[in-house]
Amino acid sequence: MAQIPNLDNSPLNFASLREQSQRELLSILKNIRGSKCMVIDPKLGGSLSLLIQTSLLKENGAELRHLSAEPVQTDCLKVLYLVRPQLNLVKLISSNIQNDISKGVQREYFVYFVPRRTVACEKIFEEEKIHHLLTFGEYPLYVMPLDEDVLSFELDFGYKECLVEGDTSSLWHVAKAIHKMEFSLGVIPNIRAKGKASTKVAEILNSLHAEEPVNTSDTGVPEISNLILLDREVDMVTPMCFQLTYEGLLDEILQINNGAVEVDAAVMGAQQDGKKIKIPLNSSDKLYKEIRDLNFEVVVQVLRQKATSIQQDYAEVKSTSQSVSELKDFVKKLNSLPEIARHVNLAQHLQSFTCKPSFHGRLDIEQTILEAQNYEICFEYIEEMIHKQESLVSVLRLLVLFSITNGGLPKKNFDYLRREILHSYGFEHMFTLYNLEKAGLFKKQEVKSNWPTVTKALQLIVDDTDTANPNDIAYIFSGYAPLSIRIVQHAIRSGWRSVEEIIKLLPGPHLDMKRGGYSNISSSDTVHGGQSNLDRVADGRRSLTLVVFIGGVTFAEIAALRFLSSQVGLGYDFIVAATKIVNGNSLLETMINNGS
Amino acid sequence: FCWKESWDIEKNPMASKGTPLHGPRIKLIEKAQNLFAETKEHLFESKAAEEHAKLLRIQHEIEVSTKQAIFMDSSISDTIRTCIVLGNHRAAMKVRTEFKVSEKRWYWLKAFALSTIRDWDALEKF
Repeated sequence: MAQIPNLDNSPLNFASLREQSQRELLSILKNIRGSKCMVIDPKLGGSLSLLIQTSLLKENGAELRHLSAEPVQTDCLKVLYLVRPQLNLVKLISSNIQNDISKGVQREYFVYFVPRRTVACEKIFEEEKIHHLLTFGEYPLYVMPLDEDVLSFELDFGYKECLVEGDTSSLWHVAKAIHKMEFSLGVIPNIRAKGKASTKVAEILNSLHAEEPVNTSDTGVPEISNLILLDREVDMVTPMCFQLTYEGLLDEILQINNGAVEVDAAVMGAQQDGKKIKIPLNSSDKLYKEIRDLNFEVVVQVLRQKATSIQQDYAEVKSTSQSVSELKDFVKKLNSLPEIARHVNLAQHLQSFTCKPSFHGRLDIEQTILEAQNYEICFEYIEEMIHKQESLVSVLRLLVLFSITNGGLPKKNFDYLRREILHSYGFEHMFTLYNLEKAGLFKKQEVKSNWPTVTKALQLIVDDTDTANPNDIAYIFSGYAPLSIRIVQHAIRSGWRSVEEIIKLLPGPHLDMKRGGYSNISSSDTVHGGQSNLDRVADGRRSLTLVVFIGGVTFAEIAALRFLSSQVGLGYDFIVAATKIVNGNSLLETMINNGS
Repeated sequence: FCWKESWDIEKNPMASKGTPLHGPRIKLIEKAQNLFAETKEHLFESKAAEEHAKLLRIQHEIEVSTKQAIFMDSSISDTIRTCIVLGNHRAAMKVRTEFKVSEKRWYWLKAFALSTIRDWDALEKF
């Protein structure tokens, strides 16, 4: 199965979005005549693997290399560098070229920045006195589909850049991406934003429209009716919680990268020892699509049912004489066997983690912290984790959760835990603590926490959740409804007005904005081309909402939005876009000082 | 204002990590400590810098006395564990008292260290 997802069932025309990006890349290649060596920065290479088959690049005469400190080994006389505009990458390119010069090799160099060139990067080439040797260009890849309903801006450090370092260039990137999409999808009439970065994106989006208006008569009725922008900062509680959906658990335990996980061959029942197998995870896998967003407990049951039902059918086929059509059905079922086997193997592997008592202990303490009733128990649990020198990132996840839900810790406790962390993990983590404090994730208590108020008003803690037949998003975390998605639910229903008092308790300003002249046109009055659009009009008023997470989104939150889309009465479909797919570990790892 | 300056200085010793010259590094950390001490809000940072410098000195002493260069730049807890694993209980005790390591943490460290060297007898005794 391919790592590049099939996008045919997407509620928006993601396929054309992807084709456009493919075309743009290929035309860059075609403009450089003859054979060439294409050198990509590795992170970008990972993203591109979701966009285009490498064979297609090779067909266009490109040898592929990853950018590194090593000089490029190639016979090609033309070298194309494709990189994000980062200073460290530019320095690598420069040292590559200097190496060629010192060896007397003459080549033609092309440097294409993704998504755009920056003055700072070109300055470096000028300083190195090789600027005149290069041809510059841009590959305007701002956003790419990860799946039928998920877009990524592929911005790695957006969260830390904004919060700790105050760099807002990623916000411009997000606004530009949305602006670009609006040229083909129409101007989104309603925007709701919460958080400093989100409101800023909305403002930038407005100024982009002022500079370069989208002609509304060209695009017809806008395909997306609501845009909700949310800062990760608004809800840092949810990503700190251990994800319990199948996909979330896969990400927590095995790390999903560019829509795939890598596992030991032995996990998948193969014989080769020590070899790694890459398993693509996207909705092209029908079974995965069915189970990815279920609570893991339920996934195990579903897989068992599927396996036994095939077993029963097999017994029937053997014992009784069946008609050809019945046999045909059976064979059809058998076709799904490889998928079942794949997920049984993966689930079994996950279960070896989830059956440990330490795993349940952790889930219990998470729940206790969220309920914010037993301060002492939580404090002592975390203290003991530090004393046992458990992995720093898992300590910090609970600590951040604890600090946010308590509005910070009393000074005495705060200083004590900080000291214990420095003693246990080393003084270099002074910087880790500084980063966390600056981001507001682990801090001294100044005012009383408003978490209990928020929890109560938005019903975040739900006691009786039926994970098998859920009626609320709280099934995702077995009893906790993710704050971010509750906010989306309210924003969709009635805007910020109804929850204004609660919204104000969360960090950052909020904003409600109407744009364009669509407010009078209801979707049923209009006839618009495209099958998907007609369907939507026919089945009533299913409107499409784009939810953008600035600073990253977790798989659990995507699952919650998919659950809301699937609710019959609601009438909303969601598309998720995020700077990056994240989880608690990946968010905190950028904060941890690793001595470099 | 003092905040930023002291961070810059604190960052310098990080850059010099791994060099055999620890003297200047300790000096820099002590300078940072004094800068932190100038403002009331940074008492914690100042104390931490003080302890850091002290730790580096003690680690240096232990390295000289055990002739094993494995202590530098490990944390206080790791230092204690390594001492116990090597059977150097006196040094472990010294680190413990110097840094006022709490009873609770001490027991965990000792238990882990003893079980690493499979010294079940000692583990049972304490």
